[in-house]
Amino acid sequence: MASFLNAHGINAGPIQRPVLTGLISGLLGTIPASLLLHLFGTLEVEARILGISTLATLAAGAVIMAAAGAVYAWLFGRAANNPHSGWLFGIVFGFALWAAGSAMVLPLAGGGLAPGGVPSIGLFLSFLVWGLATGLLVPHFHRPLSDALAKGATLNQVGPAAAADSWVPRRNRA
Amino acid sequence: MMRIVNLPKAAVAGGAGALAWEAAIRPALLTGVPFYDIVRELGTLAFPDGPWIAWWLTGLAAHVLGGIGWALFYANFFWARLDIKPAFQGLIFAALPAVLAIFLVTPQLQLMHLADGIVELDWGILLEPLTATAIAGLLAGHMLFGLVMGALYVRPAGYPVENERRNPPRYAARRATSANGRRTQSAGFMFATGIECSYPTIENGSWRRDQMKGTWHYDRWQQDFALAREIGITHIRYGPPLHLVLGGPGQYDWSLVDEPMAELEEFGPEPIIDLCHFGLPSWLGNFQNPDIPGPMSEFAGAFAQRYPWVRFYTPINEMFVCARLSTLEGLWNEQMRDAGAYVTAVVNMASATVAMEEAILRHRPDAIFIHAESSEFFQPCCPDPKIEEIARLENERRFLPLDLLFAHPVSDFMRDHIRQHGVDDKVYDRFMARQVPRRSILGVDYYEWNERLIDRDGEPRVLGELFGWYVIAQQYWQRYQRTMMHTETNRMDAEDAPRWLWRQWHNAQLLIRDGVPLVGFTWYSLNDQIDWHIGMKEALGTVYPVGLVDMNRDPRQVGLAYKHLIDMYRDVPQYRECEALREMLR
Repeated sequence: MASFLNAHGINAGPIQRPVLTGLISGLLGTIPASLLLHLFGTLEVEARILGISTLATLAAGAVIMAAAGAVYAWLFGRAANNPHSGWLFGIVFGFALWAAGSAMVLPLAGGGLAPGGVPSIGLFLSFLVWGLATGLLVPHFHRPLSDALAKGATLNQVGPAAAADSWVPRRNRA
Repeated sequence: MMRIVNLPKAAVAGGAGALAWEAAIRPALLTGVPFYDIVRELGTLAFPDGPWIAWWLTGLAAHVLGGIGWALFYANFFWARLDIKPAFQGLIFAALPAVLAIFLVTPQLQLMHLADGIVELDWGILLEPLTATAIAGLLAGHMLFGLVMGALYVRPAGYPVENERRNPPRYAARRATSANGRRTQSAGFMFATGIECSYPTIENGSWRRDQMKGTWHYDRWQQDFALAREIGITHIRYGPPLHLVLGGPGQYDWSLVDEPMAELEEFGPEPIIDLCHFGLPSWLGNFQNPDIPGPMSEFAGAFAQRYPWVRFYTPINEMFVCARLSTLEGLWNEQMRDAGAYVTAVVNMASATVAMEEAILRHRPDAIFIHAESSEFFQPCCPDPKIEEIARLENERRFLPLDLLFAHPVSDFMRDHIRQHGVDDKVYDRFMARQVPRRSILGVDYYEWNERLIDRDGEPRVLGELFGWYVIAQQYWQRYQRTMMHTETNRMDAEDAPRWLWRQWHNAQLLIRDGVPLVGFTWYSLNDQIDWHIGMKEALGTVYPVGLVDMNRDPRQVGLAYKHLIDMYRDVPQYRECEALREMLR
């Protein structure tokens, strides 16, 4: 799958920094998501299930979602930079995280307990909002965080050595 | 990115799918069939005790929104993956939301309806609503959704030909900018790229493919030119949209292209103007029309008069490819499969080219013509006379457009062939007798599918880079002995593109060392392209990742590699001052 995506030009290439871009975007995406969690009472419920303070829950959530943002930008590569569709890819990723997180991870981490009622609605919506925000932010952050074209053009991997057939290693070494 | 998505179309398709579901399921629910009522489940989250109209409208809106979301997902990730009718693609896709609805959404909705803030998960609670009838209802609803959505979301790229006069695509307005550089007119080697601008019709002339719209060039043209300059591109192959500019006999909508041309004039890169790229305005019909030389030459003359600073022209791009795909493979324009139609198309295009050259020279006597053509080669698979005969015909046919253009006599075999297909000796003799303009360059394009094997069944199979551009280009050089330019190449595998670029460049260098006057090299194109993996025969909207920059205008590795190459060679004396180009400019 990865090689298929790369062949179709998804690989971010040597001058982009998808992980850093995703990390920052994912972290910022937690701001509206946290507000939503608070409004629906989900934050407090999560804290009770996990047995930690609300602040610690918030901090843990921010770290996890920042990491999730990094995974998102790395996985979607150049597609995540698309200002037309990035928001949609973000929502899709947020939905997938919700599906995996709320149905599998959270109940396991909480000993079989999960948010129900209104807090569970808040949980669902917060993942979508986080995905939307992250998907919207990545296209705006990635370019300032990328190296300049001129610098990228000096990299050895795009120089004349690229002409060599990398799948004939013995001959290349000789 | 792997698809361009028509967002409004996807939204309508998804919304319609959700409404169709409701229209089919609601009567059954009202008559007491115990289907799963997803609209009620959604609506009562907001109005648990409200009147039915409140929860129904809210639930329906939420369901439609969900349908739109799934349709957008379908359009981005699933559309056109299967070679089956769109409605059935949608049907198969609907299995995904159906499975999620049964195993994830329905249980989660059940959780959301609970009064408690914290619940202990219990399969009894989660699967309570899922009776066999409920599951059947969910499956039926999703099937209907998939069928309707799939049937409606088609042809995300291009537009109906009938709309192109009423509501044509427009270029974005030119913004004031501190552009990077000024246009220079040197005699240096041409490090070129192009804006992919093909505009053939498909579906019997009813649907226009327009690569500049598909790749968002109309919106981002200024950024495209700036990126080309940043890479170090000195020349850009650029084709104003003929089908939009040439509105009728003598009717030209220059307002479409004045601003891009002004930007190129001021800042560069120096354009090589491509006046006809695989398509015609609908009022001219197709390449079987013997009357195209008149209006096309008037257009060329008017263009040269309006933009007198333009030096380089490609009157008609890749006549062989255009004729082949329009008349032998049945993909574009006239969509025929007839050897005679190929000959007719070639003669019409060559006649138009000659007339266009004459019209341009009247306004710009020192114009330089770069006749870009696909370099092809056909290898018989075996010593079977029938197979060898097919390969021979193909190898002769590839030269026919250039033979007519460069007044090179065809073989007796080809002479008989074109005579059989109605080319009068007088017409042929007229081509052979003409004085080819001195400033004519033979442009030779090369891709990994240009070398083909004629297999035992008589069908061509792609060989990849068997002999390479050097060998194939030599055949063209030997035949025409004209100043040459490498006018196109690219590679579909974006990861492998830098390797391909450098190897093409080494082929070009070897040709130069052999004494062939080569004036330029081209990576085609600046941007990614749309649907070229299927020759644009269907409007799928699949991104073909061959650009120096991607659809977001971020550099691809090959863009970095090309800049590396240009930076390395542009100041080498033999490239800084290209003797062959200097001679051409003289």
